[in-house]
Amino acid sequence: MKASKKRWLAILMILAMSFTLAACGGGEAEAPEAPEAEGPAEIQGKIILATTTSTKDSGLLDYILPEFTYQTGWEVDVISVGSGEAMAMGEAGEADVLLVHSPKDEAAFVENGHADADGRFDVMYNDFVIVGSADDPAGVKAAAASDAIAAFTAIMEKESTFISRGDNSGTHKKELSIWEKAGLQPAGEWYVEAAAGMGDVITMADEKMGYTIADRATWLAVGGNTQLQIVSEKDPSGILNNQYGVICVNPEKNELINADGAKAFQNWILSAETQELIGTFGAEEFGAPLFTPNAAK
Amino acid sequence: MKLEIKRLVRDYGTKRVLDLEEVTIEKGTRTAIIGPNGAGKSTLLNIVSRIDSATEGEVHYESEDPRLVTQVFQQPYMLRTSVERNIQYPLRLRNWPEDRMKKRSDELMEELGLLDLRNQKAWKLSGGETQKVALARALSFQPSLLLLDEPTANIDPATTAEIEEMLLKINQEEGTTILFVTHNLAQARRVCNRLLFLDKGKLVESGDCQSILQNPAEVKTRRFIAGELLI
Amino acid sequence: MDVISAGIAQAFRLILSGDPEIYGIIGLSLFVSFSSVLISTCLGMPAGILLGTHSFRGKGVLLRIIYTFMSLPPVIAGLTVFLILMRRGPLGHLQLNYTPTAMIIAQICLVTPIIIGLTYNLVREKAPVVNRLGITLGAGRLEIMALMIREMRIGLTAAVVSGFGRAISEVGAVMIVGGNIKGKTRVMTTYITELKSMGDYSRAIAIGIVLLIIAFAINAILYNFQEREGK
Repeated sequence: MKASKKRWLAILMILAMSFTLAACGGGEAEAPEAPEAEGPAEIQGKIILATTTSTKDSGLLDYILPEFTYQTGWEVDVISVGSGEAMAMGEAGEADVLLVHSPKDEAAFVENGHADADGRFDVMYNDFVIVGSADDPAGVKAAAASDAIAAFTAIMEKESTFISRGDNSGTHKKELSIWEKAGLQPAGEWYVEAAAGMGDVITMADEKMGYTIADRATWLAVGGNTQLQIVSEKDPSGILNNQYGVICVNPEKNELINADGAKAFQNWILSAETQELIGTFGAEEFGAPLFTPNAAK
Repeated sequence: MKLEIKRLVRDYGTKRVLDLEEVTIEKGTRTAIIGPNGAGKSTLLNIVSRIDSATEGEVHYESEDPRLVTQVFQQPYMLRTSVERNIQYPLRLRNWPEDRMKKRSDELMEELGLLDLRNQKAWKLSGGETQKVALARALSFQPSLLLLDEPTANIDPATTAEIEEMLLKINQEEGTTILFVTHNLAQARRVCNRLLFLDKGKLVESGDCQSILQNPAEVKTRRFIAGELLI
Repeated sequence: MDVISAGIAQAFRLILSGDPEIYGIIGLSLFVSFSSVLISTCLGMPAGILLGTHSFRGKGVLLRIIYTFMSLPPVIAGLTVFLILMRRGPLGHLQLNYTPTAMIIAQICLVTPIIIGLTYNLVREKAPVVNRLGITLGAGRLEIMALMIREMRIGLTAAVVSGFGRAISEVGAVMIVGGNIKGKTRVMTTYITELKSMGDYSRAIAIGIVLLIIAFAINAILYNFQEREGK
């Protein structure tokens, strides 16, 4: 056929291919095996889950969510921003359910009537670690390997670069509480407020050869790509504990909130089965699970 | 096609470019429009062909079908395709069947000596060839009224003669009314039987072409013709 | 340096791997950008042609606005569309945020002004002449529009490719309205950003290479088309 017709045919083929790719794409690369049930539930809609960057960046949600959709038919749009922004979305009624790790703010959220009648529930916990460059200029590893407050004090004294999340996330709030407990007010060129997600902040700390505080799950997922090391962890006072909570947004905020889907998610993530599933995440790859489930029985 | 104008005004802002009263173009005539630059000659043509619209007044066409009026310009635009397809374009618009179209375009190309150029890229032709293609294109659908704006202004004499011959032919054989603007009074004398002299937007004199050119009634006309002839 | 060479190696592995997730991401990028460019062209090209053909009061102001919007920062387009589609927003009931539809809408806001502006600049010289020709040959408005597009197809195709380039390469708009949701709204640009923030540089480079290959291929097709048509 004519050269021009051939060209149009080629263009049409490319268009057709790309539409097909888009349609059949999006398969999950790693997911747990499907249960013995009768087959996947029919898709009945979607919920908007506002969550932290740590649950997403660590890969936990990619691991467990397909199970939820399979069982209940609810698709989940995961919007991963800091806990602060997630709760702001909840306040505005722009999300259906929250999975965050900022206990004080969560309590306030519930108290101010932004949650549904059931309130907030513990889901799982892990811990935070303080990481720094290989040469550890503030000597944290030597002086404060399991003392968070001493670690922060050393960093500030030496004015070593410290990257803060700076975004009202759970991690940010934890970091600020440590500075507070140490009686310090970090300020200056060395203290960098990034306003970025956890993965980004770890990468930044690597680039700038500085320190930061990260949740262990994201650290394990991302840290391997960097030249950072853990300089302080497992503080016996429990100050580095990281508790996650799930909250359904008050459905009275607007008509578009998917209360059914949100409740289904909350029940599911607190169920014994899912709790067990959470406890297996990362076990093979990292030798120990990244999150410890602790929903009330 | 017969044209009747009772009043026709065209303003550009405050400038009155055309101001006509009582102009009639009889069916089947060959009328030349002459006059100095800026007299409103092109404006008149453009209003008749509906490219431009009047500020006041209107043109009464004997037939209301606008598709029977066409205009050829001084530097005609050639479509980016072959000569043959250029000529066939208006017929394609009118959904003529392929064989009828081909017959008609062959006919026109033959009459204007364009057969050799049939498959040439129309936009690469010389001035004279372009003008002939434009004429063939305009005539393809047998319009009742043909308007031309200085059609042979920069064309060689041989091609000019061909074009003039064509105009006479379609007027005699098909009764096409012809109205054209020209600065070439000799051409007007050769081709036309009626004449309009416009100056500063107004009609100064109109009537039989030969008579006016030989013996104009108005002083202005006399002066203009003398000036033109001197050049 | 080995990060980069690892990236290049991974690029080929990824492309040939048959990984449905990657293909889905690439496919979605193409789908969103092709869709938005298609719609933008249908809206913008006739608009640009109309602008080139007609003059009216306020045209200068309108043009200045269009030129400004041609460089509209993608994040602003994204933010504006996001606010409108928010649950609290005027069109919240449509629940379009975090969907490919919203991404297409945001990109339409970016691409349409580009197509209008480039089309206008391309046609402004020729459009009045083509328009004039169309009228005198009996073409209706739509037929004249089609004629203009055919006559200026080389330049117009370049305008469309320009628009596509903008769409496929932007990240601000699709990130804000789409949210980079796995399997739903993840496109090449947002995915690259995510991979970088996770420190997965080699994969980021790999996707980047795919993106460049696509951009190069589209431009190669355009170049070919222009060469062929120009002869």
